Amino acid sequence: MLLVLQSCTTSVVVDGTVPTPLVSVIPARMGVYYSDEFRRFKHEEVFRDSGGWRIDLGNQNLRFFQNLTASLFAGVQEVHQPPLTTEEMRNLDGVFIPSIEKYGFLTPSISGLKFYSASIEYRVAMYDKVGTKIGDWNIVGYGKSEGGLFSSDEAINEATALAIRDGGARIAIELIDQPAVQNWLRSKHELIEPSAGPPGAAESIETPETPETPETREENVGVAPDA
Amino acid sequence: MRNLFVAVILSSLLSGCVSSRIEQSRDSSTGIESHEAIVLLGRASYNDKQTEESFTECIADVLGEGDNPIRLIGQSQFRDDLYPWFEPRTAPTSANELGRLFTEPGVQERIASVNVRYLAWIDGDTVTIDSGGSMSCTISTFGGGCFGMSYWEEDASYEAAIWDLKTMTSTGQISADANGTSYLAGLIIPVPILARPGNAACKGLANQLRAFIVGES
Repeated sequence: MLLVLQSCTTSVVVDGTVPTPLVSVIPARMGVYYSDEFRRFKHEEVFRDSGGWRIDLGNQNLRFFQNLTASLFAGVQEVHQPPLTTEEMRNLDGVFIPSIEKYGFLTPSISGLKFYSASIEYRVAMYDKVGTKIGDWNIVGYGKSEGGLFSSDEAINEATALAIRDGGARIAIELIDQPAVQNWLRSKHELIEPSAGPPGAAESIETPETPETPETREENVGVAPDA
Repeated sequence: MRNLFVAVILSSLLSGCVSSRIEQSRDSSTGIESHEAIVLLGRASYNDKQTEESFTECIADVLGEGDNPIRLIGQSQFRDDLYPWFEPRTAPTSANELGRLFTEPGVQERIASVNVRYLAWIDGDTVTIDSGGSMSCTISTFGGGCFGMSYWEEDASYEAAIWDLKTMTSTGQISADANGTSYLAGLIIPVPILARPGNAACKGLANQLRAFIVGES
């Protein structure tokens, strides 16, 4: 019986490209904490029609966020679970913590559509130098992929990789525009100003150049900090 | 056995009728230098529609062959190089947004480095609009076979919106519509008579796109 059940489970280890974002750098040196759950995130689900699925997206997710944060912030250092000591925070301006709230996927037999689709809800939290929360935001990434009858695992892989990519795109473009992040950057700059902080940083904060399409403007409402 | 082989070969050669229509509207003049390239991007939206990747690949194949092949940049490579600005939910929806996009750090330089002159957004899909008939197949220890007939009608409707990245304007649109009915007749062996409206739309759109880009039409 165990053998039968195992043979009906499709295992997918998500793999995909890891593009480097072309975005304005947030002028801050951040500690980034990836929990073990984030690093090794797996999703298991059993459908009556299509059997069991075991989807391992931890490694692709981690690689993606390591690359994303390295491009998004002026400096990045992986840290252990907060709180961090004053000494550990000495060269950091804050801490960035991404986590996965939900992952889900649909096959054509469930949705009735021609595509496999996946969605990931991320939660991104940011803390300042003394551990006060700057804000946290929920961002949902979507992906979908055409799939053949005998390539459902490839289609789920592609849909999931696209969902990670979509979530990453939202973070890369929209995080810098969040009012809480803007306020934090402004206050950080004011603290640094008397002791000759980096002059270029202030200019880029006060004149953010991130374009706001009608779609992203609408979505910004949905990612307002709830803290 | 030989007859069966001939029947299989013949069946693969049978194809159904497809009617197609190509229309074009031009907003400004075009032309392309040999070192310049175009990018074909399939539109993806988060509902039940999405331009099939196989369709954009088909157009790329047609444009890249022949006496005057056009230099193409693959859509995956382009999307990776310009990440996160050409993702399904972040890509510009009109040429008017290009000016603002080009102010983003590195975007204009990255596009210039690969000499992309035109961006062609491919939008549309192929859907089955009607089907009917019936066919049953049986197999037993004494042999087997299929009897009956079924049909399905497909409609392929696509549009290409062409943007000039040098002038940051829309240069025009080309639409391709094709319709055809395929049949599957069960005469001991199943004999398919396939209409391929998606393929007809691809070739029609690609040839018109080539003429449009080089400025022949």
